Amino acid sequence: MPRLLPRLSLDPLTQKKLRRFRSIRRAYVSFLILTAAILLSIIAELLVNSRALVVSYEGEIYFPTYGAIHTGKEFGFDYDYEVNYRALAERIAAEPDSDNWVIMPIVPYDPLENCYPGEPFKPRAPTTTEGHYLGTDQINRDILARLVYGFRNALIFSSAFLVFTYLIGITIGCLMGYFGGWFDLLVQRIIEVWSNIPFLFVVIIVASVIPAGIGMNLWILLGIVVLFSWTSMTYYMRSVTYREKARDYVHAAQVLGAGTGRIIFRHIMPNILSTIVTFIPFTVSGAISALTSLDFLGFGLPPPTPSWGELLRQGTANLNAPWIVASAFTALTLVLTLVTFVGEAIREAFDPKKFTTYQ
Amino acid sequence: MKMLSTLPTRLLFILLATALAGCGRKESAPTTTADADAGPSVMETDLARTVAEQTEFYKIKTPADLPTSLNWVNSDHLPEFANPNAKQGGTFRYYIADFPRTTRTIGPDATGGIRTYLLDYIGVPYVQTHPNLPGEVYAGLAESWALDQSTRTVYFRLNPKATWSDGRPVTTADVVFSFYFMRSPHLREPWYNDYYTKTYTAISIYDEHTFAITLAGWGPDAVVRAGNLVPYARHALQEFASDWIEKFQWRVLPTTGAYELLERNIERGRAVTLTKVKDWWARDLRFWRGRFNPDRYRLDVIRDPDKAFEAFVRGDIDMFPIGQPKFWYESLPDTHPEVAAGYIAKTKFFNKTPRPDWGLWINSSKPQLNQVEVRLGLHHATNFDLVCAQYFRGDAVRMETRSDGYGWRMHPDITARRFDPVKAREHFAAAGFTTQGPDGVLINATGQRLSFTISTYLPSLRDLLPILQQEALKAGLEFKLEVLDQTTGWKKMQEKQHEIALIALSRSVELYPRYWEMFHGSNAYEDAYLAADGRFVLKHSEGTPNPAPSKVRVQTNNMTMTFDPELDRLIEAYDEAETLDDIKRYAQDMEQIIHDQGWWVNGWSLPFHRTGYWRYVQWPEGFNAMQSRNAEEFFLHWVDEDERAATAAARRSGQKFPTQILIFDQFKN
Repeated sequence: MPRLLPRLSLDPLTQKKLRRFRSIRRAYVSFLILTAAILLSIIAELLVNSRALVVSYEGEIYFPTYGAIHTGKEFGFDYDYEVNYRALAERIAAEPDSDNWVIMPIVPYDPLENCYPGEPFKPRAPTTTEGHYLGTDQINRDILARLVYGFRNALIFSSAFLVFTYLIGITIGCLMGYFGGWFDLLVQRIIEVWSNIPFLFVVIIVASVIPAGIGMNLWILLGIVVLFSWTSMTYYMRSVTYREKARDYVHAAQVLGAGTGRIIFRHIMPNILSTIVTFIPFTVSGAISALTSLDFLGFGLPPPTPSWGELLRQGTANLNAPWIVASAFTALTLVLTLVTFVGEAIREAFDPKKFTTYQ
Repeated sequence: MKMLSTLPTRLLFILLATALAGCGRKESAPTTTADADAGPSVMETDLARTVAEQTEFYKIKTPADLPTSLNWVNSDHLPEFANPNAKQGGTFRYYIADFPRTTRTIGPDATGGIRTYLLDYIGVPYVQTHPNLPGEVYAGLAESWALDQSTRTVYFRLNPKATWSDGRPVTTADVVFSFYFMRSPHLREPWYNDYYTKTYTAISIYDEHTFAITLAGWGPDAVVRAGNLVPYARHALQEFASDWIEKFQWRVLPTTGAYELLERNIERGRAVTLTKVKDWWARDLRFWRGRFNPDRYRLDVIRDPDKAFEAFVRGDIDMFPIGQPKFWYESLPDTHPEVAAGYIAKTKFFNKTPRPDWGLWINSSKPQLNQVEVRLGLHHATNFDLVCAQYFRGDAVRMETRSDGYGWRMHPDITARRFDPVKAREHFAAAGFTTQGPDGVLINATGQRLSFTISTYLPSLRDLLPILQQEALKAGLEFKLEVLDQTTGWKKMQEKQHEIALIALSRSVELYPRYWEMFHGSNAYEDAYLAADGRFVLKHSEGTPNPAPSKVRVQTNNMTMTFDPELDRLIEAYDEAETLDDIKRYAQDMEQIIHDQGWWVNGWSLPFHRTGYWRYVQWPEGFNAMQSRNAEEFFLHWVDEDERAATAAARRSGQKFPTQILIFDQFKN
């Protein structure tokens, strides 16, 4: 491993590819926006949350964002459950000369909470005065909060999806290409049969049979989707491994007595990485779409997990509240477009034929 | 494969049969092959053998055997509930959510779908419960009836005018056949087989029009139990045998009701159209006249309710149930252009009918949930009050007891426990959950969290469950949510695998509720009661309670896993009670136990049905019958085609009518 990393970053060829990627402005900007969005989503609790960032109460400083809850009684309310920081902030603001203060996040709402206690549940149009910048859904939850946390869930899902499908797909594909012969033939036939099983259909059947314990569910869903998605990667890996296998450095390694694992993962793999890298963005966008469509159909993450598919479903059922479907649709289109821009540029940058352009 | 080769021939045959029927010679239309001279059919042979063998059940008698002391009664003194002057004719257009998987009204796949329009709403039974007068029945196929409590027998005289839709008379031959049919294993309906074996002990035939049904038990609703049955046409089911399911998959049997479904009116996957039976025998009969008024009843298949709503507002269908707050307040507000212009009327009708028992069904066999204090804590921690007030916009009301909506309150002063985090925490503390964990969920001395999974299989509850979840946290209780696919969810609950289920069982319109299915210990455990020799027995009265039952009985509606010997004793006494006073007394005691033990957290009920319809759909005075569960159920509406044309013209010209937002609260509590 220590040799693999320097080669990736210092190799003049790789550097050239990165320069080329950066020179494609549209992609570079997309890449920066996406990276920023991903980084921000990691610290989403500090930006979109019903818990305050900092509370100074009776001489003590609290940082409630992460960690255990603080009850209402700790802040002078009469209840034992978690304090409502917005109500606390309002109360403190109304106290004329108190030293207490509360700093709330930019969007002071949680993706799960009912933001209008005491009022009917119905979609509410966007307002800036109350901080519901994209309105609320049909049970008074803030849409922006659900979008942000839904984005994070989609990212977790797609990264994990990427890792697992590539792990299985690359390993099997490389083995097929490296060994060839009857092993290749046999596994190819198995993959053909396997990949002919209608994916979405099976996911729906399996997802409906598996009891949905929360927390586990993301992983079970991931497992099912990965189980039926690893096959496509094997074709590419098989063919590039075939090509690399015939090269002299592989023969040299064989002559030196290197084992199969070492040859595949230490010698061949670094040389086919560029192929893998070009697929990554498209796999990510595929994973996001798959998760969204499953959620839309009601076979995805269990309620009340924030997800884009669930928002789209709500939106289509409440067309008189267009802000729901508009928010989810815009967010989905935006992210998928950005990912595709990045993907196209990576493909172009890694293309050995320098002057080919994709329009 | 066999199906493939025979299907076209059969279709051709049915087409021929319907074509002949359409020529106006209905009486002789060959509806089945059994009319051929080839001797008795397999079914007839089997029926004759069964009747000969089971002489205890099938009793063939003579008119001379009829007791002379009988007091024959009819329903001529009762008021009608339809408008006898309703305008006849026209086409009513409505929708169904799915294309039926069969046109059989019984057997696999028959429940739901088109069955309501072929049998439940349409079929004429011997007698039927009067929807405005609980406890009374009105005449259907029977013109008079007599009750004999000493022999637990109800006597019926068929109306000689009664005919099937193909013109043949309804006789006691059909009655005998219907019992044979419902008790036959060929039917592939174990529930009906069981019901017809356990509820009825004998059927006696006196002549072509007189018969008697003997019941296993007696009660104030004996006449309903014996008489609210729709017979099946013997002559049309001559081919009834072990293979009947496939043979009759797309055959429509003759009906006693006003509408029939003809083969040519089935548009596969798209629509079915019912047509009025020509010269329907009951069209001038009291209680039946003024109902089933349109000549054609078209049902388009529209799978998504939101789409169906759009079709309704456009005028493609004539009526739409707007019970959901979303439709009543948001999609079709009083200011909606079609409503404001008076083209579409909105009606809210307060009914009085047994309510589906929405609520949390707590599986009391699961750890923690077996403690009364935990269950009572759940009552105070589940905020159905908020759901009623804000999710249902104040339209829904709490179920105060499990059995609301019957003619009288099952318990005079029990009310649902209201949401109260403080009281909930007191109950949870009594069960050992005293400390609050870092996430706000209570834990007990051994570190167990107060966390339970609510399961449901109704996608419509997806938005309601998170509300309960958020509110429960206030009481230190964590709800995990599980929305399963329908089949999986139902199976899980029937196998008692769930912790808490949010569901409701629909209730048929009955005089008093059932407790046996939901609460008797023998429906929780196979070994709930042991006889002296150690055998498992079903009843408290037949054995002694097992202190440590272990064999869970699956596929029963006791989804709370209730096993309480005292309650079981009361249930058995209740089921055997013969007077309404006894029934009320036992019901009150049982409701008290159920309330005290808290197996079921009272949910909500909607005390009305709401309907949107175009102004040319018209209704009797008072809109509907007291026990109606939807506007359509009793077919009291009619279509005024002249008004339809006038409305269409008005929409083109912009002419407006008075806005109609109608509230009917004559049956409101």
